[in-house]
Amino acid sequence: MAETSDYWNPKNETMSREDLRTLQHLKLRRLCEWAYAKSDFHRQRWDAANFHPDQLKSLDDLQRIPFMTRADWMEAQAGAPPFGSLLTTSRDHAIRYHTTSGTTGKTPLRVLDGMKDWEWISEMWAYGLWGFGLRPSDVVLFAFSYGTFIGFWGAHYACEKIGCLVLSTGSATTESRIKSIIDMGVTTVCSTPTYALRMWQCAAETGIDLANDSRVEKLIVSGEPAGSIPAVKRQLETAWGAKVGDTAGMTEIGSIMIFECARQPGGTHIIEDHFIEETLEYEGDRPVPYGERAERVVTSLGRGFIPLIRYRTNDLVVKIPHTSCGCGRTGDIYQGGIQGRWDDMKLVRGTNVYPRAVESIVRECAAVDEFQILLTREGVIDEICVVVELKPGREDHWDGLCKRLHVDLADAHEGLRFKVEQAPVNSLPRFELKAKRLVDKRPVAEYSA
Amino acid sequence: MEKDLLGRTLSESEVEFARIYRELKTLAVRQDLPPCAERNVKKALACMWQVVNDLDLEFEQLYELGV
Repeated sequence: MAETSDYWNPKNETMSREDLRTLQHLKLRRLCEWAYAKSDFHRQRWDAANFHPDQLKSLDDLQRIPFMTRADWMEAQAGAPPFGSLLTTSRDHAIRYHTTSGTTGKTPLRVLDGMKDWEWISEMWAYGLWGFGLRPSDVVLFAFSYGTFIGFWGAHYACEKIGCLVLSTGSATTESRIKSIIDMGVTTVCSTPTYALRMWQCAAETGIDLANDSRVEKLIVSGEPAGSIPAVKRQLETAWGAKVGDTAGMTEIGSIMIFECARQPGGTHIIEDHFIEETLEYEGDRPVPYGERAERVVTSLGRGFIPLIRYRTNDLVVKIPHTSCGCGRTGDIYQGGIQGRWDDMKLVRGTNVYPRAVESIVRECAAVDEFQILLTREGVIDEICVVVELKPGREDHWDGLCKRLHVDLADAHEGLRFKVEQAPVNSLPRFELKAKRLVDKRPVAEYSA
Repeated sequence: MEKDLLGRTLSESEVEFARIYRELKTLAVRQDLPPCAERNVKKALACMWQVVNDLDLEFEQLYELGV
């Protein structure tokens, strides 16, 4: 029966919305009681806000709980290093330590997991991987560095749990990963979207056509919004001859909270028996209706070591009803996955520019190999330039591509004029983890008294 | 008749899952087990917690059992 099920957990993935809310309320109440009793961080903040778990009479009372931010977490961590006052139990009960990928030189956010938390982390990935079609017969290669960054750790263990043959390629070069994909008959590759493109380019340079020469039929991507950008997805699916499934998670959770099912509905289902995902106005507390842009605020019903309750993520999402997908899951959907970060938005001459929107347009051009968005200030005027690197042998496409980008970028940005420049082959940076394609060189305003 | 967290009657297999979970919890606090049993029981309990949690049979924390 198990292998023929489309769902990892049929009971909950198809339960009614009403039952789902009842379950969420029950788990929320217990989690809050646990956090209040065991975590100084939560108890002190909730006392200060006159909130007590007894007030959670229904799921609507969730709104009584004060928000938690990354700044709160970092402040608590700095106040009592290395973990702050967030822990609900002795660190002796932890079996895993992970950190955010972070910016070099800055203190990362640190998390601990107990034995059941670590199993839960892989369990969430199992919902997503099974839902996208992974089965015990799959051979899965992880193009992932296996450091303290949480990344695909949970996915690795989920694949073991499912019964797949797992190839961990922590320190391998791109060339040796490609060789393993061919030699071992790999059927599924897990990586960032950017690195999946990089592997394909590298293979092509050595005469390997992954679409025809490999057995890969599924790409599981995570870590960047690009996995749900139609142009990127289309490019990857053509290049690899495989279906691309988007997922998204965060270190603060330890795992994924959304995944794309095998029907590829243009978005990612929320695992709602394990997460409460509120969609609110950015930095506000007003719920935003289906179909409108919102900030996601997450409560994780999983990891109990560091409870994450009403955590403001800064992620930009558009929630749509589960009925938008015909798979039968009752978990609602984030249309286009995580569409970016609210603070990724740049204001250029009065126009909002989101890197994801630029990427959506640039990746429509098949001749583009890599690109960068450069923001500068000339005098008092902000300038935005898209620097484009063409695929080798496609140089004669430049004139047409340049004109098309000028028009399409302006059309999508209220007529904002973009500069478009060509970069020499292999001059722009390549990324294995999260790509950083926006460079803001504008001076920060300085004020003197 | 045993019920799940939402008050629904348990299936035959769910009754078994709940029983095994309770037995693993009992084993996990025993002090007389050799390391090979004690650590694997805890590992098994961490896995079984996923089953009872996924199927809405129980929702609790296990850190005080070292799990």
